[in-house]
Amino acid sequence: MSLLLQTVFAFMRVSVIAFGGAYAAIPLVENEAVAVQGWMTYEQFADLIALDEITPGPIIINSATFVGMRVAGIPGAIAATFGAILIPCALVMLLYSLYDRFKGSAIMDTVMVSLKCMAIALIASTFVRLAMAAFMPEGELPSLVRGCYTIAVMSTGFYLIHKRQISPLPVMLGCGAVNLVVCTLLPAGI
Amino acid sequence: MGQGEAKEESLGSRLLTLFWTVFSISATANSGYAILSVMKDEFVRKRAWFSEDQMADYIAIVQSTPGAMAVNASMIVGYQAAGLLGSLVAVLGCILPPIVVMIVVTYFYEAIVGNEFVYLFMRGMQLGVVGMLLDVILSLVSNVTKNGVAYPIVLIALAFVYVRFLGWPIPFLAVGCVVAGIVKAIVFSKGIERS
Repeated sequence: MSLLLQTVFAFMRVSVIAFGGAYAAIPLVENEAVAVQGWMTYEQFADLIALDEITPGPIIINSATFVGMRVAGIPGAIAATFGAILIPCALVMLLYSLYDRFKGSAIMDTVMVSLKCMAIALIASTFVRLAMAAFMPEGELPSLVRGCYTIAVMSTGFYLIHKRQISPLPVMLGCGAVNLVVCTLLPAGI
Repeated sequence: MGQGEAKEESLGSRLLTLFWTVFSISATANSGYAILSVMKDEFVRKRAWFSEDQMADYIAIVQSTPGAMAVNASMIVGYQAAGLLGSLVAVLGCILPPIVVMIVVTYFYEAIVGNEFVYLFMRGMQLGVVGMLLDVILSLVSNVTKNGVAYPIVLIALAFVYVRFLGWPIPFLAVGCVVAGIVKAIVFSKGIERS
């Protein structure tokens, strides 16, 4: 029981300092699980980074479940996730009630515009990182054919969502299916 | 609650829609940000539960809060759509898929991590997520530039440099943005005669 509580508190600690998107969170989870708690080795944690590439869901929740699972099985996974969402959910409701109370006032309006500008910068930063990772999966320039192909799929996805207003979920699944077929058929050298 | 033009829907069907929308994206997309694009499409464009401006404000609140962005967004959107019960249902829809998937994956790690087909499919979906993010960014930009372009563009550029190149802690940036907003409101109200 105390191990479960410890798991809850560990992820509470991580969750309150995890600002600015998923990729900022991984080093924080690693520090907590490997250095602070000693629950796993760095090599075991590296499995999580590989898994995050290929599993759905918010990365903080994935990491919490993964670490919790190693610590105390399924109860550990649930405890870790619970710890990871509790304080942020309370904070978001607190901010929301402040916003709801003061919205419409001149100061609240410009504060919201400013915070939206910050949100744009944060999302744009993730956008740049994701686009670069998609374009150069091995960290170096792709071949001409592969580079053009990647740009074509990304642009088509954007066009369908933004201009044609097609639901994002099927577009995303379609991109997955197209990539699976094309990359399986495309000879390895190209 | 929702906009005037929103269709009359029973609480049960709202909760079901909430759960299913959040669940389906959380069970597939690899990036939390994808949820914003799907919420905008389902709750704003298709169902008019709230306006695009409200959604933009929610995104700002969510980004000013620590923790999993997708969970925080579910919390706030769920609350707006159906009160605290809505929050609970949406957050459950958001965390259930990753919990189940990660538990399953722990048992089948070898089979999944080395699998070329899983890898190619997930990589392809990431290309789609890039398009989703650009869509969310553009709609936010058009929202903040409605009343004047100079201030938001300068602030976005500064914030982007802060996040991308300086990599300093986000809470300081959030506080800076709040201060900038307050200062601008005061300067603006002094500089312009209200008719």
